[in-house]
Amino acid sequence: MKVEVGQELPELVKHPTTRQLVQYAGAQGDFYEIHYDQAYAQSVALPGVILHGLLKAAFLGQLITDWLGEDGTLKAFEVSYRGVDMPGHPYRCRGRVTRVEGGNVELEVWGEDEDGKRTTVGSAIVEVKG
Amino acid sequence: MSTTTSVIDRLRARIGVDGPTTVATVEAGHVRRFVEAVGDPNPRWKEEAPPTFLVALAPVSLHLGEAEEYGRGWLNGGNRFEYFAPVKIGDEISARGRVADVYEKAGSSGNLLFIIFETDYTNQRGELVARLRGTAIRR
Repeated sequence: MKVEVGQELPELVKHPTTRQLVQYAGAQGDFYEIHYDQAYAQSVALPGVILHGLLKAAFLGQLITDWLGEDGTLKAFEVSYRGVDMPGHPYRCRGRVTRVEGGNVELEVWGEDEDGKRTTVGSAIVEVKG
Repeated sequence: MSTTTSVIDRLRARIGVDGPTTVATVEAGHVRRFVEAVGDPNPRWKEEAPPTFLVALAPVSLHLGEAEEYGRGWLNGGNRFEYFAPVKIGDEISARGRVADVYEKAGSSGNLLFIIFETDYTNQRGELVARLRGTAIRR
């Protein structure tokens, strides 16, 4: 696999729905009401139900494993949630190679809302086959 | 303020203390429901677990009743995963979590309480397969 600093990962655009949040809540076992109960979410000063941070992490994980295919392994992966994202709005996952040292590759990954604001920022370390 | 201080003191007393171990099998049906929810159709997930699946096997934070005396709600500040060995369908994973740190920080709309959780995941052969660090925020 040929990897160069500055190279961008093919982007992944997600279109999360409230239904998907309920599906994810069940699959992860996270039943915190801010992810499916509008009235509850508003009662804790949120604009409405919001995406699970870990669902956004799963999206960014998918961005990386789709790009790697069979040619590499994910060694570490870190995400910070800087802003909330709501269902009904596209969530754009992007990434870029920041460092290459032999088979060890570092990536910058992030999730953008529809205005291009990075609501999730993170990084990853992958090991690629020569 | 004294209530807030005592909540933080009580939480800080738990730093480094292991919580209960949760043992769970990585079931094909569970992984399928998880990747369907994420919308990740990679056929590889028929054999192994996707990167964030471990969070579905056991709670990612210890239940800290006293933390709920602080602020109105929880927010997830971030997660860090480290991987040491692949997690395959059929593996039996033991998850053991602990509080790694507790601190208060001033935010733009008042103080926030940060609780750092750490979870170690070990497979049926006793190999450490992954470690997760999560930042839970009370606001």
